[in-house]
Amino acid sequence: MRDRVAIAGAATTGFQARNTDRSQASYVAQAAVAVLDQCGLTTRDIDGLCGSLPAAPAVQSMLGIPEVTWFANPIIPFGNQLAAAASAVYSGLCDVVLAYHGAYRMAWNTGSALKDPFRRGVAFGSSPAPVPESVAGSVGYTAWASRYIHEFGVPRASLGYVAINDRSNAMANPGAAMRDPLTMEDYLSARMIRSPLCLYDMDVAVDGADAFIITTAERAADLPLAPVLVDAIVLGMIDKNEEDQSPSLRRHGQQVTVEALKARSGFWIDDVDVLLVYDGFSVIALNWLENVGYCGPGEAGSFIEDNWAAGDDGTGRILIKGRVPVNPHGGSLSEGGTQGSGHLREAVHQLQGLASGRQVEGAQRALVTVGGFFFNAQGITLRRG
Amino acid sequence: MSEVTDEELWSLFPGAVDRDSAAHYRGRLERHLLVNRCAQCGTWHAPPKPVCPSCLSERVVPTPVSGAGTIFMAVFLHQGPPAEGVDYSTPYPVVTVEFDEQPGLRYSTTVVGAPNEEIQIGRRVELDWITRGSAPMPVFRLAGQRVGDTA
Repeated sequence: MRDRVAIAGAATTGFQARNTDRSQASYVAQAAVAVLDQCGLTTRDIDGLCGSLPAAPAVQSMLGIPEVTWFANPIIPFGNQLAAAASAVYSGLCDVVLAYHGAYRMAWNTGSALKDPFRRGVAFGSSPAPVPESVAGSVGYTAWASRYIHEFGVPRASLGYVAINDRSNAMANPGAAMRDPLTMEDYLSARMIRSPLCLYDMDVAVDGADAFIITTAERAADLPLAPVLVDAIVLGMIDKNEEDQSPSLRRHGQQVTVEALKARSGFWIDDVDVLLVYDGFSVIALNWLENVGYCGPGEAGSFIEDNWAAGDDGTGRILIKGRVPVNPHGGSLSEGGTQGSGHLREAVHQLQGLASGRQVEGAQRALVTVGGFFFNAQGITLRRG
Repeated sequence: MSEVTDEELWSLFPGAVDRDSAAHYRGRLERHLLVNRCAQCGTWHAPPKPVCPSCLSERVVPTPVSGAGTIFMAVFLHQGPPAEGVDYSTPYPVVTVEFDEQPGLRYSTTVVGAPNEEIQIGRRVELDWITRGSAPMPVFRLAGQRVGDTA
């Protein structure tokens, strides 16, 4: 598929960490209209739909998209949506896909969302464990964080760097939900939610949406913005993929993703200009940095220290070799928990030169890792066409 | 308690039981911790599946485990879903234990009878039972502690 499918545009509503008085659908509509405008397309140009929620039929009906010949609603994270849409375009099932993700504060991920009756029926399909005695779902990352700290003997500060990097970057992103400065002192004194993880280790539930146009490289070349070519996509997984049965930090979906992505991609980390590393939980980002090859197992904290650009106010950000930022939009921890759509959209904007205020000069290639360890370890390489 | 109907089993473990895990939950009612083991190749697996992932035999047999094992991961919930007997004012321990029966064969539940600072990765545990609602629930206790020390 290399270079045959392109992301022609990406748009966002920006994100808010509060229960807004809007529906999930309204945010998807806003992002979809924005990306159509950006790409100079109308609803008549769309013949494919792929998103999380709302379901594709509801989105088609809402936006009055006259006819589609393909649609799908894969589960999150968003690498699944990109993979499905790119495959559909590449195989000719459709030509122009509107892909979307409505991030939404849901009853199961925030207590305050539970108090909003209009949010109680909204769920991404994976409901949380009904009892406390489980490490299924999001608790699984806390459990593996305990293992990470135990095996490598690292301090919690290693995790804290991920949160501080995200927050310092989010301060330059007007669409980010969390923009107040965060220092290591703030991190280490924060409220624990599930030890060993605290408030700042866990993505922030937000309202907002991202939308994308995915089409053939030929079609994208005729549209107004620089096409972002899909170099490679991998959705890696191993057999023992339940949260408590995964063999080890050195053997889960990420290793499969990395090996396959290296084999399929036209470039690797030395040629990457911007790095988007999934960080729905801080420990995931550390493990990605290690697995993609920036450093060895357990060394991500030291690697970040060695590549840290400290601000004079206790903020700071990762600049790999003084050059490559990580999650310049603020990531899941500070822009908002977008299940990977934010990482992909930021990569597209950086490669199109649209990341005003945080643009990596002349960015040509991006590596995006989406999702965690178990059934959601996804890798994407993109280059400017 | 083998006469418990599917409907009754569902009401005892709402949202948790399905056709492949029903035997495990029926076992809990008799305080037997049943884990699937293959009658053909002897490999254990969890959670319950309709075939053996190692040899694809359908002869999987819910089989009692000793419950002895080692803490592999440990989490302490400062908040979480409401549950009888769970007070998050003291962070609630949830551990994943690797059973002695087979490397990598793990089970997750809470630990009772020990202060949180003693519930550490690498500690040996044994199986015990408490009651939630009207159903027995498997829990771990640090090995070597007398049952009934604390609760």
